[in-house]
Amino acid sequence: MSLISALNNVHAKGQFGDFEGKDDKNLLSISETTNLLILQIVQYKSSNSSLDNMQVDGLNLRDNPSLVSSNDNTRILWNGPRNWILVSQKKDTLNEIEQKFNDNEFAITDISHSKAIIEIEGKEAKEVLKKGCPFNFGELEKNQCLNSTYNGMSVTIDMLDDDPDKFRIFGLRSFGESLYHSITDASLEFGYIAK
Amino acid sequence: MTQSYRIETGGLINRNKKISFKFNGTSYFGYEGDTLASALLANGVHLVGRSFKYHRPRGFFGAGVDEPYAVVQLYRNGETEPNIKATEQELFEGLEASSVNCWPSVNFDIGAINNFLKIFLPAGFYYKTFMWPKSFWYKIYEPFIRKAAGLGVASTKHDKERYEHKYEYCDLLIAGSGPSGLASAYSAAKNGAKVILAEDKPRYGGSLLTSDVNIGNQSGKDWADGIISELKEMPNVTVKNRSQVFGYYDHNMLVMSEKVSDHLPKTKKYHPNKRLWYIRAKEVLISSGSIERPIVFGNNDTPGVMLSSAAKEYLKVYGVLVGKKPLVFTNNDSGYETAIEFKKHGVEPIVLDSRSNPQSEIIDEAKNLGINIKNSYVVVAAQGYKKVKSADVATISEDKKTLGKIENINCDCICVSGFWTPTIHLVSQSGNKTKFNEEIDAFVPGVSKQNETTLGAANGVFTLEETLKTSFEKGKELSKKITEKDNEISIPNVVEKKYSKHDKFWCVPLPKGKSYKRFLDFQNDVAVSDVEIALREGYRSIEHVKRYTTLGMATDQGKTSNLNGLQLVSEIENKVVPSVGHTTFRPPYTPISIGAIVGREVGKHSKPTRKSPIHNWHEEHNAVFVDAGVWLRPRYYKRGNETLFEASKREAKNVRTNVGVCDVTTLGKIDVKGPDAAEFLNRVYTNAWLKLPVGKARYGVMLREDGIVMDDGTTTRISENHYHMTTTTAQAANVLSHLEYYLQLVWPELNVNVVSTTEQWAGAAIAGPKSRDLLQKLFPKTDVSNEGLPFMGYVEGDLFGVKARIFRISFSGELAYEVNVESDNGRFMWEKIIELGEEFQIQPYGTEALSTLRIEMGHVAGSELDGRTIPYDNALEGLLSKKKDFIGKRSLQRAAFVAEDRQRIVGVVPLDKKN
Amino acid sequence: MLHIKCPHCGMRSQNEFSYGGDATVKRPELNKEVTDQEWDNFVYNRVSPRGKHLELWQHLSGCRQWIKVERDTATHEIFKTYKANEEIA
Ligand SMILES: [Zn+2]
Repeated sequence: MSLISALNNVHAKGQFGDFEGKDDKNLLSISETTNLLILQIVQYKSSNSSLDNMQVDGLNLRDNPSLVSSNDNTRILWNGPRNWILVSQKKDTLNEIEQKFNDNEFAITDISHSKAIIEIEGKEAKEVLKKGCPFNFGELEKNQCLNSTYNGMSVTIDMLDDDPDKFRIFGLRSFGESLYHSITDASLEFGYIAK
Repeated sequence: MTQSYRIETGGLINRNKKISFKFNGTSYFGYEGDTLASALLANGVHLVGRSFKYHRPRGFFGAGVDEPYAVVQLYRNGETEPNIKATEQELFEGLEASSVNCWPSVNFDIGAINNFLKIFLPAGFYYKTFMWPKSFWYKIYEPFIRKAAGLGVASTKHDKERYEHKYEYCDLLIAGSGPSGLASAYSAAKNGAKVILAEDKPRYGGSLLTSDVNIGNQSGKDWADGIISELKEMPNVTVKNRSQVFGYYDHNMLVMSEKVSDHLPKTKKYHPNKRLWYIRAKEVLISSGSIERPIVFGNNDTPGVMLSSAAKEYLKVYGVLVGKKPLVFTNNDSGYETAIEFKKHGVEPIVLDSRSNPQSEIIDEAKNLGINIKNSYVVVAAQGYKKVKSADVATISEDKKTLGKIENINCDCICVSGFWTPTIHLVSQSGNKTKFNEEIDAFVPGVSKQNETTLGAANGVFTLEETLKTSFEKGKELSKKITEKDNEISIPNVVEKKYSKHDKFWCVPLPKGKSYKRFLDFQNDVAVSDVEIALREGYRSIEHVKRYTTLGMATDQGKTSNLNGLQLVSEIENKVVPSVGHTTFRPPYTPISIGAIVGREVGKHSKPTRKSPIHNWHEEHNAVFVDAGVWLRPRYYKRGNETLFEASKREAKNVRTNVGVCDVTTLGKIDVKGPDAAEFLNRVYTNAWLKLPVGKARYGVMLREDGIVMDDGTTTRISENHYHMTTTTAQAANVLSHLEYYLQLVWPELNVNVVSTTEQWAGAAIAGPKSRDLLQKLFPKTDVSNEGLPFMGYVEGDLFGVKARIFRISFSGELAYEVNVESDNGRFMWEKIIELGEEFQIQPYGTEALSTLRIEMGHVAGSELDGRTIPYDNALEGLLSKKKDFIGKRSLQRAAFVAEDRQRIVGVVPLDKKN
Repeated sequence: MLHIKCPHCGMRSQNEFSYGGDATVKRPELNKEVTDQEWDNFVYNRVSPRGKHLELWQHLSGCRQWIKVERDTATHEIFKTYKANEEIA
């Protein structure tokens, strides 16, 4: 077994773009996030289970657009009506879910390998996103998420932090290289450190 | 070297920084803050080009975006860009530019012979003359006309500049930073609204830069500077200069082109040259001001004839005299402002006013300064070829029909003012129904269609006091609706001169016996006589007159010519202007570089590419790739000098004799889950699905409602409520949307979830007589015998510690399997297959061999499922269930679909049954 | 470019959506006898109105929900949007 992550072939460490003469702290940082458990959780229409009683890693599923429920390990992103994306560093969360969620009421699908994940951090991060994504980032706050497109590629964007701004961008794995090229290209103007 | 037309002091240029540049090969210098136009004028250069049709000499007419003449070819770092307005291009060190439209040189232009043959080139000349014989058009007429009439030359080289795009949202977008833009931006910003203030010029302030007014005890310019620096400090405000809002689209989406590096000798690496902003605004405030319009007279295109406001701007902003013996020809008070500026700098102007006895503060001021003013006087014709040398002038009767005796006045420039035309392009693009305002002889905004408001001169309001008052109030009112804040703003005191009424006069009659060309459209050489011909020939609609004469169709889009054209049509037709109506304003307001429109969609960014997790292995092993949608798939693996045919034949043959492996990751995969999944599949596919046992796969075909085959593939029942569906590579996305359509809209009662798992699994098809032997090596702990894993069977396996799914499916007629592992392990799986397959002479095969194998087996492929065939056409009718209904079934009863003479796929077998 | 209010996600740019045709067409029930004319009306026959039109869009690069959009085909004005199962007022 030798795991090769989605961006393994393109993500090279170093400093790029217009970084010269700038303090490292002011540069954007870009990294690939790997080895996460990613699940799609969907509640079927006829399910009567109250979401109040359904907890994963201590977090509730909440049917609120753009909401992210989170703790240190796990983030549950709203993905549509009665539809969530769970992202966790704890792989055994899958077992917890399979035990708790009845497959006549919930569809649980492992899509951990389906995504290329880029994390971008820095005060210009929103500017990078605005170059390819038509979403109104002025409205986006910490612990909110959205699905949209970046240069024509479908993406899910999760805002992890706002001091400085930090985002996790999920693209389809096969588009990973193109998405990475797009994001890094848009970052050249500001200068970035690939970590 | 001195600049003979630059005044000693004054202007907003930086006299401490000299900038050298070249025009038509000659070196000049200017100052930081100059435009190419102001720097050339400072050097006394008035001849910059030739006109489009007659190749008449061309100088400068305006000082900004409205310029019809001074269009040049620009060179920078070995790159060239055509059709740049010299009046907009800021000077930078090392700038090089040349005239367009003239050959061999601007001073001696062979095309100018057209000018002396002009009797042959009236309106519609090209249409009438070059139409026949038709075969001549492409080979002879068109190339000739293009060479003679073309504007600049596009570069044929790859453009090394970067152009970027950006999406932005705001509460208020304000287009134009003149008094109305500044005032509305200020009050909106103070109410906490998110404001974008866009100015197309490098300097903010619009008319305040050149007008002699006082706001809150400061000069207009100082007041503007103060507001701008305050706005720049506010976090909710974005202030952008060199940024032209050029298009107003649906749902309050506007597009703005920002010149990021255009004024610099070299774009900083990694920085864009231009940035296109797609701005979605809750409210749009249009403060685009107005453009002075000319008065039409004989030879009014001679270099040295220019707008009076432009002459004033060259003087006040750039410290440049456009002439030393100026004649100001006006029908309103604006001309006097220019005359006064000349006088203040020691130049003696003569003012010709078409009005008989105008009275106003500013006229009094001019008189007090001792300026020579001639009332009821007009310019009949400019004299001089490459530069104005004198003017034929005459008195004019009160009804403006009769000229007095012609006199000649020596002058070196004629500054014309025919009153002001509001810039309503954006307003009109937004869908606003504009209306004609008799008071100012121009169109002004009418009823808004989108959330747009027009302020100041663009709205036909020409007094500063009223402009500031309404703009402060509008900014406040609109922002209050959005932010619910209501910050009090005190409106500053305004001191300005009162204007008297302008003269409704726009065209000087021809004196008896003279046939001067009187131009309406300066860039396209459309004269009064051309419009007269068009009307005489029966063209009535203003849109037709425009196309027949090309009035307003040049790169300046008729900014200075449209209204005079309308006046002429309405006069001849005896109609009022509003019933003639103006032609449609379309984006862009001003020419935009193609590069800016394309943005970063160049090279590898031109379209996204999809790659399998095994892609690099293929690359390392001489794969030749083919585009499959946006996926890249190995078409064949090249050995030595093999051709495509040789390689694919080798690969296919190896599958038939040994074993081959193909990357099938790109196949669409959809997880279908839920208590009603079986019922759903039964409705989606044409064959029966209710009884498929767990651990078994089935081949299925799905139709569209019109009976056409949509897709095919195998679907495997992984567990009771869980199916793994595969689709073709091409149709994967459509099939998912199709399934979602039925689950959400048609059969919402079904409890089923569908989600793409295409990227979750890396897939390898292992096919050939030795495939089972290889599979056993790969999965030593799994029973892969015919009993353990029968045809269309499915088991899970352990590939050296990696969880795998094994399907026994075949599209080649050979014994074949498909192995899936999670994508991170894709390459590991592939290398294991190659490594353990070595003893079985394994070879990877590409899509070409894959197709060959499918065809040999008689299996349909992409070419047959082309969106035009029904199951019968593909010999798939055996898969149509008679017992149940399914999507598209009813359509198969259509007469054409049961006709006996339909085309149908057939197998071809060689007669000797060998080859 | 249109700005469409997804009833699930809020205001989004047209880039995220794909168009799905007339939303007033209703599929005949499964296993029901239908005349040729009824079937043709379902599959092929459409009016192409100038003005108000109820149409389907899918929020493809968003929540992936099919929605109904009441739009003026001439002016692009959007009057209201509905969820797939919502009653049309
Ligand atoms: Zn949505």
